[in-house]
Amino acid sequence: MCRILVIDDEEAVRNAVKRRLERDGYGVDLAETQAAGIEAIESHKPPYDVVVTDMVMESPTSGLEVLQAALSTDIFTELIVLTAYGNVGNAVECMKRGAFDYVEKNIPGVDVFELLSIKVAQALDRRKASLSTLRRIEQYTMGR
Amino acid sequence: MDSRVCKPCPGADPEVVAEISRLIVTNESVSKVLATILEEAVRACAAVRGFLAIVDHDRGELDVRYTAGEGWSEEKRLGRLKVSEETGRGITSHVAATAKAYNSPDVERDPYYIRSFEDVNSEIAVPLVDTNGRTRGVLNLESTERGWFTDEHERFASVLGNLGVIAMALADHRAREAALVQIGKELHGFTDARAILQKVLDVAAEALKFEDCSLFMIDRASGKLVLKASRGPLKKQIGHASYEIGEGLTGWTVQRKEPIRVTRPSDDPRWRGLYEELPSADVGAFMAVPIIGRSGAIGVLRVQRKKSPYKWFPNDFTDDDERILATIAGQLAVALDNVRLVDQLVKTERLAAWGEMSARSAHMIGNRVFAIKGDVNEIEYLLEAGVIDPADAHRLVDSIKNGIFLLEEILNEFREFVKATQLDLVEADVNELVRESVEEGFPKRSATVLKMNLAPDLPRINADPKKLKRCFGELMENAVNFQPEGGEIHVSTFIADARCKKWLKPSRQSGRYVAIRFEDTGPGIEAENKPKIFNPFFTSRAKGMGLGLSIVKGIVDAHDGTIYESGTPGKGARFTVLLPAASGRRRSSKKGEADPKAG
Repeated sequence: MCRILVIDDEEAVRNAVKRRLERDGYGVDLAETQAAGIEAIESHKPPYDVVVTDMVMESPTSGLEVLQAALSTDIFTELIVLTAYGNVGNAVECMKRGAFDYVEKNIPGVDVFELLSIKVAQALDRRKASLSTLRRIEQYTMGR
Repeated sequence: MDSRVCKPCPGADPEVVAEISRLIVTNESVSKVLATILEEAVRACAAVRGFLAIVDHDRGELDVRYTAGEGWSEEKRLGRLKVSEETGRGITSHVAATAKAYNSPDVERDPYYIRSFEDVNSEIAVPLVDTNGRTRGVLNLESTERGWFTDEHERFASVLGNLGVIAMALADHRAREAALVQIGKELHGFTDARAILQKVLDVAAEALKFEDCSLFMIDRASGKLVLKASRGPLKKQIGHASYEIGEGLTGWTVQRKEPIRVTRPSDDPRWRGLYEELPSADVGAFMAVPIIGRSGAIGVLRVQRKKSPYKWFPNDFTDDDERILATIAGQLAVALDNVRLVDQLVKTERLAAWGEMSARSAHMIGNRVFAIKGDVNEIEYLLEAGVIDPADAHRLVDSIKNGIFLLEEILNEFREFVKATQLDLVEADVNELVRESVEEGFPKRSATVLKMNLAPDLPRINADPKKLKRCFGELMENAVNFQPEGGEIHVSTFIADARCKKWLKPSRQSGRYVAIRFEDTGPGIEAENKPKIFNPFFTSRAKGMGLGLSIVKGIVDAHDGTIYESGTPGKGARFTVLLPAASGRRRSSKKGEADPKAG
């Protein structure tokens, strides 16, 4: 089963995201601060497949800190950044540094939970593709 | 002429001049100097009597201020005054008008003489003329002998008169210096532009005798010169009367950044006569100086003087007057620049608070809406799956309701933050407001002990009762919420003493203030948090946005009051609100006696 970590300082947000992703059949863990999230990422075995994190928690760049921790734990962990209000600048910065995508929490007329569900599925596909590429490279180099 | 003075005059004693000079340099009062001069003149010239009339610049009249010699009565003094008022003639008036000494050896044949003492047969009068060529007074000596006064008498009287002028000029300079120092002191520490402007006008008018004084400032929005402060009839038009830049003498001054001084302003081609302190025909002299701040001309200070009813009486403004007015304008410019800087700082802070506020509220509202959308998404999913458990549905509906409640709470705080400064003022009794707020805010059943200590006979205050109750209620609620079981809350009101007032701005510390204090025995406020507690979004509770105390501060500030916290960390919080007493003398606390406009 795919493991997903959701980090957000708002309980209502964490619970809503967890419920929706569990419906898709994923195992979902929760963390309520940037620090708790980073600790979970570093200690979880095997590494999380996808991390969904709020951009702004303790600091406006919490998302970036989480990204760095995730990538240094497992280079193929996919990260999706949640932004509460138009703070797209930092989210884009996250993508430049390797995050999978960002999702704005409030888009008028859009069911953001369905959007998030799709993004998570896509992120998992990319992780699988990356991992299988890695395996093939490993087989290829070992076969030589 | 001085070298020849004393010798030929029979009674003239060099010691007299020395003594009077000594009085002047030792800062003796002008009246003492002038009285001595008159006495010595009468004695030295062996006159039967004499008087010294002083020109009243405001009214353009001669006022017999000092008398010496025989036969004076109150009636005679007033009689003299009346003569000059009625006719503008008489020897004294003639000398005042011409600024030249006059010797009348035989008053019977003198066209100017008006008799007031039966025994007079000859008279001399010498003018006291200042450096601006303006007559300040007339020294008059009378004799029962015909042809009594010689040229030597006249010269000696002139010397004494000159000494009198020196004494008067010195006194004027001291008064002006004192006034300028006072203006400088008053301006320092003011952060309210309106108060500064009025204060400057008051000092200028009273101490410097610029009777009709007005101040126009460039209004940034309209680009016009708008009347900001005035004395006299124009006062009613403060905020309304305005000139275009370049319009009239007033507008010209600002446009050219040059002072202007006109004797007959209504004859000047630039004159518009739009807003005058006096009817156009009565304006005898007009002077205006530009107020030049850091960013260029920001306003005009102008003064006018009534036309003198006497043709001979010059009442135009002098070089000295212009220098003084320019000095005041300079001080004013510095003070106003300072106020603007403070204003800008406050605005920037407020703007920053607004920016933070909108960001913060967008974040909080966004998160709540996101959660609500999640609940709705779940309900839809359950409906589509066709397996809806009523318990699940209720749980989701409750969650949505809670989310909406939180949203409304945020909106409410937001609204109160915005409206905190919009007041509906009436005269109110502080104790009544405190009592009502405490009743509403203190839980009916509580282990906490409530002590109330409300001073009787407090002055009333100008207040928005609803807002102040909200403010006291919030302080009460804070005290209750941070209280351990069985603690104590102490609510008191009293007249603010010097210790409280040091929390006020220096310029406000002289006013009367009512203090309202809320003390509790909770954990108090950590020293490091003390500067932050009134900032928006500072909160140690999870509820709301943390605007509570910033709303309280907003309300208190809007009442021209202040709030501070002076508790000991670990022992309890102590909030004190200071509110200015209403200016009315009334102290009644009965209802219905308040101002009819109130309520």
